Amino acid sequence: MMSLDSLLPETGSIDNKTDHKTVAPSFKTVGEFKLKDPRISCQNIVVRYGEKLAINGLSLDIGRNEVLAMIGPSGCGKSTFLRCINRMNDTIEGCRVTGKIMMDGQDINSPEIDTVPLRAQVGMVFQKPNPFPKSIRENVAFGPKIHGFVETKAELEEIVENSLKRAGLWKEVKDRLDQPGTSLSGGQQQRLCIARTIAVNPEVILMDEPCSALDPIATAIIEELIYELKKDYTICIVTHSMQQASRVSQRTAYFHLGELIEVGDTKQIFMNPKNRLTEDYITGRFG
Amino acid sequence: MSAGLPRKKDTIEIVRRGLKKRHAAARRFKFTGVAAVGMSLFFLSLLFVSIFSKGYSAFRQTYVHLDVSIDPEILGVGAHPDMNALANGDYGGLRKAALRTMFPEVKKRREKRALYQLVSSGADYQLRDAVMADPALIGTTLSLWVPADDDVDMLIKGHIRRELPEDDRRLKDYQIAWIDRLVAAGRIENRFNTILFTAGDSRDPEQAGILGALVGSLFTMLVTLSLSFPIGIAAAIYLEEFAPRNRWSDFIEVNINNLAAVPSIVFGLLGLVIFLTYFDLPRSAPLVGGLVLTLMTLPTIIIASRAALASVPPSIREAALGIGASPMQTLLFHVLPLALPGVLTGTIIGMARALGETAPLLMIGMVAFIVDIPTGIFDPSTVLPVQIYLWADSPERGFVERTSAAIMVLLIFLIVMNALAVILRKSFERRW
Ligand SMILES: Nc1ncnc2c1ncn2[C@@H]1O[C@H](COP(=O)(O)OP(=O)(O)OP(=O)(O)O)[C@@H](O)[C@H]1O
Ligand SMILES: [Mg+2]
Repeated sequence: MMSLDSLLPETGSIDNKTDHKTVAPSFKTVGEFKLKDPRISCQNIVVRYGEKLAINGLSLDIGRNEVLAMIGPSGCGKSTFLRCINRMNDTIEGCRVTGKIMMDGQDINSPEIDTVPLRAQVGMVFQKPNPFPKSIRENVAFGPKIHGFVETKAELEEIVENSLKRAGLWKEVKDRLDQPGTSLSGGQQQRLCIARTIAVNPEVILMDEPCSALDPIATAIIEELIYELKKDYTICIVTHSMQQASRVSQRTAYFHLGELIEVGDTKQIFMNPKNRLTEDYITGRFG
Repeated sequence: MSAGLPRKKDTIEIVRRGLKKRHAAARRFKFTGVAAVGMSLFFLSLLFVSIFSKGYSAFRQTYVHLDVSIDPEILGVGAHPDMNALANGDYGGLRKAALRTMFPEVKKRREKRALYQLVSSGADYQLRDAVMADPALIGTTLSLWVPADDDVDMLIKGHIRRELPEDDRRLKDYQIAWIDRLVAAGRIENRFNTILFTAGDSRDPEQAGILGALVGSLFTMLVTLSLSFPIGIAAAIYLEEFAPRNRWSDFIEVNINNLAAVPSIVFGLLGLVIFLTYFDLPRSAPLVGGLVLTLMTLPTIIIASRAALASVPPSIREAALGIGASPMQTLLFHVLPLALPGVLTGTIIGMARALGETAPLLMIGMVAFIVDIPTGIFDPSTVLPVQIYLWADSPERGFVERTSAAIMVLLIFLIVMNALAVILRKSFERRW
């Protein structure tokens, strides 16, 4: 089999490019990465972990009320890109993000932006389930409480119940809301984390492989949830499952070694990929 | 198939061959562990046995039964004396008279003095308190148990040997004869030593108590805890969660680690210069002791708290930040509760060290001879370890057992303190 690096033109290994501040994308993205009226517009994003380049000059728009799927081999920078959109990379020491991320006419990547309202607006479900070591109820109630969404206990209970129902967990936990969230199974924990995120009622939801620990039934519930949420929200979902990407998303982006290789209509990407790398990945010759 | 791996049926053979060695290594390791634990238990029990066997007798004290006739003439007061006159009465005279009535045949001055020595002069205060509480007692005969002198106590407890030649003993033959007569008359009894727990220090062993030092230690620990715990946590939180990592934070970190290793006497000298000389705070006060011990404990608490904060999984922080919690909310609601057990462990270690600390307190004058029981953090006082040091240094035989008793009290203080902290820590411990 032919070396994959040779498919990336010009520069070869991206790790060597550490000396310049803005890096011209070594590869021109195939497909429509710009949209007419985007919800979020990322322009020339470069992310470095210390000296290591993780994302190399990536531009991508995320449309209103769309589900954007991100696929690509492990370590290609999908999670890193996702974490740029709600500034979670701020919490990683040595991680530097440059470029513009426009949302509602503001560059949310500028240092003046307050991350507290931003993260209430752009929610995230992490790759590994990370419930708080507190009761199931407290896990879901924490967000609404700190943001001051509720005044009475009954209102809070309602939010908790609604969020758990939408995440498809209510039936399983309604009798044990006071047990620790960490006592749930891996898949239940992930759904709890989803419930926790939607309890804050964000406008954009970033999901990092939300179904990687779920069985087909729970996966179907989550996919249904995504389908329903799409009406009001914008969703970015990272997934390793082609079937899932094709089921839930309208657009699909293919990442490779820190670059956006191809983006386009989901159907087109899966039926008729334009780039060799995309085609190899989708047909299972790689990954 | 990789070339380096052996053929399939050989692999299990190779595993089996090495098995014996591996198990033996595990057994050796286990044995070393058990031996180490056993050894420390042995020395610990040796320590306890030696302290207890030396100290248990201090919890009992010899008392003498006196019938004191409260003669206003000897007392030197009129028929209707005021309180001031009563407070200054000659209660020693009453005690001596009572002894003389018991042994009317003693006439020589030297022998009389020897007779008076059998009973502790602490009896005078006991008499005074009784009379002042009820002046109607004047003119009657009061029958009460008073502490015997420490030499009598030592004889009764068997620490003074009768077989020794008279000149080598602290009690003369005739004194021993009187004591034997008192014993025969049932006027000498070995009772629970309440003085040990209700009095402050004294030059006379039979009147010396541990309460002053205990209260002093308590006040000092309160000052230390209420300063070092909040300051230590605040410093740890700032350094771990908020401070930018740069040369300055490295510099501060190195210095905190260095401070943890500075000999405690240096903190004492620092306290002497800063708190006593510069700020002119009262000498020998628990406040200053607490301040000095705070300086000494802070590095321990900061280091332990930082380690505890750093060990909280980053995923918990991400979870909280990810739904829009501010850094402060993340810290208060999620990180700190998880770090608290570790923080408390550090605090226990620091406080336990502070409780047993002597050297820096000597520097700020907490080694003074203080009889009164302190009532606040500004009163002069001493602390348990210093009291132990003082008693261990005293020549009287009676202080030997009291030294061990004081050590026991210190150990119990320590155990209670640690138990409280462990209970507190248990209630915060959670899995994740
Ligand atoms: N905290 C970090 N510090 C240093 N390097 C990191 C860190 N996180 C990610 N990286 C590196 O950045 C690159 C992109 O990582 P990222 O987690 O975004 O990959 P991914 O596409 O999400 O992979 P996966 O599908 O396995 O989750 C990888 O090479 C990874 O080693
Ligand atoms: Mg990832």
